[in-house]
Amino acid sequence: MRRALFAIVLALVSVLVAACGGGAAEQPRELVISAIPDQDPQKLQRLYGALSERLTRTLGVPVRYVPLTDYAASVTSYRRGDLDMVFFGGLTGVQARQQVPGSVPLAQRDVDERFRSVFIATTASGLAPATDVAGLREVGGRSLTFGSESSTSGRLMPQYFLDQAGVGPNSFRGPSGFSGSHDATIALVTSGAYEVGALNATVWDQRVAGGGVDTTKVREIFRTPTYHDYHWLARPDIDEQLGAGTTDRIRGALLALDPADPADKNILDLFGAGSFIPTQPANYDQVEQVGRSLGLVQ
Amino acid sequence: MTETIRPPSAPVELREAAAGVPGGAGRRARRLWGGALLVVVLASVAATGWTQGPLLRPEGLGLVGDFLAAAVAPSTDAAFLEILAAAAVTTVAYAALGTVLSLVLGLVGGVLSSEVWWLEGRHGAARRRGAVGWATVRGLLVLPRAIHEVIWGLVLLSILGLTPLVAVLAIGIPFGAVTAKVFAELLDETARRPFRAALAAGSPRTTALLYALMPAAWSDLLSYGFYRFECAIRSAAILGLIGAGGLGFQLALSLQTLNYREVWSVLYALILLSAATDLWSSAVRRRRAAGGRPGDRVIGGSLVAGAVLVVGSLWWVQLDLSVLTAADTWRQVLLIVEDAWPPGLGTTTVAELVQAALITVAMSVVAIVIAFAGASALAFPGSAAGARTPGRWLVVIVTRAVLVVLRALPPPVWALLFLFVMAPGLLPGALALGVYTLGVLGRLMTESVENLDRRPREAMEAQGVARPVVFCYAVVPAAAPRFVAFGLYRWEVTIRETVVVGVVGAGGLGLLLNEQLAAFAYAAALTTLAAIVVLTALVDVTSAGLRRSLR
Repeated sequence: MRRALFAIVLALVSVLVAACGGGAAEQPRELVISAIPDQDPQKLQRLYGALSERLTRTLGVPVRYVPLTDYAASVTSYRRGDLDMVFFGGLTGVQARQQVPGSVPLAQRDVDERFRSVFIATTASGLAPATDVAGLREVGGRSLTFGSESSTSGRLMPQYFLDQAGVGPNSFRGPSGFSGSHDATIALVTSGAYEVGALNATVWDQRVAGGGVDTTKVREIFRTPTYHDYHWLARPDIDEQLGAGTTDRIRGALLALDPADPADKNILDLFGAGSFIPTQPANYDQVEQVGRSLGLVQ
Repeated sequence: MTETIRPPSAPVELREAAAGVPGGAGRRARRLWGGALLVVVLASVAATGWTQGPLLRPEGLGLVGDFLAAAVAPSTDAAFLEILAAAAVTTVAYAALGTVLSLVLGLVGGVLSSEVWWLEGRHGAARRRGAVGWATVRGLLVLPRAIHEVIWGLVLLSILGLTPLVAVLAIGIPFGAVTAKVFAELLDETARRPFRAALAAGSPRTTALLYALMPAAWSDLLSYGFYRFECAIRSAAILGLIGAGGLGFQLALSLQTLNYREVWSVLYALILLSAATDLWSSAVRRRRAAGGRPGDRVIGGSLVAGAVLVVGSLWWVQLDLSVLTAADTWRQVLLIVEDAWPPGLGTTTVAELVQAALITVAMSVVAIVIAFAGASALAFPGSAAGARTPGRWLVVIVTRAVLVVLRALPPPVWALLFLFVMAPGLLPGALALGVYTLGVLGRLMTESVENLDRRPREAMEAQGVARPVVFCYAVVPAAAPRFVAFGLYRWEVTIRETVVVGVVGAGGLGLLLNEQLAAFAYAAALTTLAAIVVLTALVDVTSAGLRRSLR
């Protein structure tokens, strides 16, 4: 018994030593990409499989997708340089750009330049649809839930428009909730836990169209004006690491995805995009300003 | 703590409870503590605001029904199950490695925070210096204990990057500090005469410790390791939420779109793992209680299996320790310190911080009261001691199954379910933490009932005393002090757990911390973490006082 144990301990130690030694070997340089999943995470694996393959082919550099579910975790990993390129939301993109100055917004989906949030409410609340931003003042004094703390469409922009209507962060009944996701927001408002919820308009439309919303219990009361949301953000040192012009070639590859080509269409569909279009830092000035006023951007 | 005599075969968690065995301490102190406790509990219950408006909202029952209905139809999609199987192995691997690390840390930390190491055989100035050393180490150990695994995970992620080591350390560090606390108490309760003799004979402290104290405590530590392993599996699942992979990651993905059928597949995997480790560890425990000779097959086999598990885990996660010594690692540490120091308040006011702390305390108190009441009630039907009829065994199995399910569902899932049918606020949060803790506490209490000395009971039964009377006079008094000690131990854990139920909209330090982390306001987050550490220290001191007054 004792001898067997000794042998096992020995084996354990040698594996440990091997693990330490193995790490020292130089890894071949690759492009590491990630995304903050915001809709249909089941599709993620397929989505990024298809995209990584496509980019690997175009760039001639191995592309690896790293799955992450946490906003703070992906911004932190991006800052460290563990991730080279990330499909960030509006707010997280601004936060990441601030932590890694010189980051380049590469491209956005066609839908991202006119993104919207919706406010939904229980029918029991008696809240009538608002015709303009000012109409949101009716939400004051009601209980409300956002999605995730760092979500642009589920938290930042809704909070901004509420602010515009004179409804401050402390003017709800009780502290506002953070459901964690758009679907959880719909469920919590449907259940009546919160009278009002704010979420990504695209997700709402998809769920309503798919019959996943009990419209006798919950309905849309306001659709916000448009703003810029998701975009691909690339670290400034990609060219240095993978060769001059790599950043431009990645951008080119994204913009060249052609909805007429079946393979490309597959990737675009998984992204919920008609196409990828160019973007620029100035597109996120509004998000940055709002983030700053809410204390989410330092 | 002096030389309390305890049967050497008592499982080690029971030693956490052992300090609570009543002695002849002042009745006044007991009344004082009892009164204070009652006030805190009543104030906490009042803070839930349960009298304002209806407690339950029947409209939400349909959504809970949807969730429960999916339990009978979990996703069996082949591709998904394949991913799930790999994720389960990853979770077990993280848990195994985290447990090993926690045992190593606990061993060292336990010695360094024990009274016997610092004080025994020392006099005068040396003893005073020892007392300072003891208090310092004990105080320092509160820090890693008070911080939730998820927060450890986020901090380590920014230092070490995307490596499996993050998950292993995030489990190992806080668990190591808990193990150290338990192990220190264990050492302090071990008979000191051999140690004293060795010191008197002139052997160095380390040698005396290794040969005179450790052998008695060693096997208890291993047994405790099995218990921590089950905790580590649940922890690894929560850690997945920050992207560490494993079952938790799959759960986070499926939960995000409320795909309940997939959620249930993950939950079943968690339930199975929990139940399996539970069975394994109680088999080992029972053997040890029965005498546990060195050649025992179950114990020996378990040791071998454990070692194989650890080696296999190292291979599976491809642990790379070189990042620990990489120059970049230290640069990242400096960066974080630069960001977070000096701690600040950010947009929060002191009044808000205090209010948040009070909410956190109230939530933890209500949660632990619920857990304590429930677990005390289930501990007796769940105990297999003296179960002879098939009917009685059925009760045991059903009770244990309920306890496993209660603790296998992570608190955020419970929080969402309670929120479907309750008004947002403290109460759904406290209930979520309460039922989860009930599962954990129920397991600890069941075991302590099984390990009770059966002689008083058998003596009374032999004299023909009615069973309810036997129960009241022979079982309850023996079990109560241990129950209280377990309850106090989990109360401390509950404070830290309030960090993961932000969804309930109750406010509190957890919500504040999540908000600050989302804003990357590290200086403010550090202040909030400090507040959580202070609360944990207060709970630590309070429980120690309470336990002393019960002695």
